[in-house]
Amino acid sequence: MVQYQATLDHTFSALADATRRDILERLGRGPATISELAEPYGMSLTGLKKHVRILEEADLVTTEKVGRTRECRLGREQLEDAAQWIEMYRSHWERRLDRLEAYLERKKGNRK
Amino acid sequence: MIYDLKVQRVFDCTPEDVFDAFTDPEAQKEWYQLDPDWTVETECDVRVGGVWKSAWGPPGSEPYRETSVFQVVDRPRRLVMTSTMKMPDGSSIDTDLEITLEEMNGKTRMTILQSGFPTPESRDAFESGWPGALERLAGVVHARVSGPRG
Repeated sequence: MVQYQATLDHTFSALADATRRDILERLGRGPATISELAEPYGMSLTGLKKHVRILEEADLVTTEKVGRTRECRLGREQLEDAAQWIEMYRSHWERRLDRLEAYLERKKGNRK
Repeated sequence: MIYDLKVQRVFDCTPEDVFDAFTDPEAQKEWYQLDPDWTVETECDVRVGGVWKSAWGPPGSEPYRETSVFQVVDRPRRLVMTSTMKMPDGSSIDTDLEITLEEMNGKTRMTILQSGFPTPESRDAFESGWPGALERLAGVVHARVSGPRG
């Protein structure tokens, strides 16, 4: 029970970061190497490895050394719960509302 | 329900403007995408029983597909729909979605409430620590909410 609670603490603190939620979403589309994951953020490999390590400690991600690269994939079992879905939808809505806001602002500008 | 998702946002325009941009396919093509280079296809028949169908994703890959059926259409205050999202990997999820628009001092507060997220072991888990965990998750979700809370 105590152990279970500790795991959940790891899970939720791992999810409380936008970059890490992005990484999970990216891995939801298939496995990727550390450098592939780092690319969209223009982040250093060291910086990205830190995020991956936190996700790994929460069992949200597993990594495996393949040749000279490290491949990351989703830790499936942990993600089968509501948290995965809620986080994914939340991040979708936040991004969409940013765009909707930009759309409305532009439309308002055109009317003036 | 404890595992609802709630997202709020305040827009600096009228509820009618927000409602129309939310339901207009031309506007949706712009705001429904998640990344600037993603493609969006959408058809939206805004009436009770009407269907909002959309597909979006990175170019050249299997898209996410979402089909929603409007249960309540009350322009410009409220939209209720049932929604099924099909993931690129073939799995799917059914949720209920409620959009509320409130006019406040010339601005509009939108509240998105989505429920029905699957919890395979929810009944058993509720006896072993889930309520606290989900409350913390709700905290994470709410911490991200922008604009005044209601």
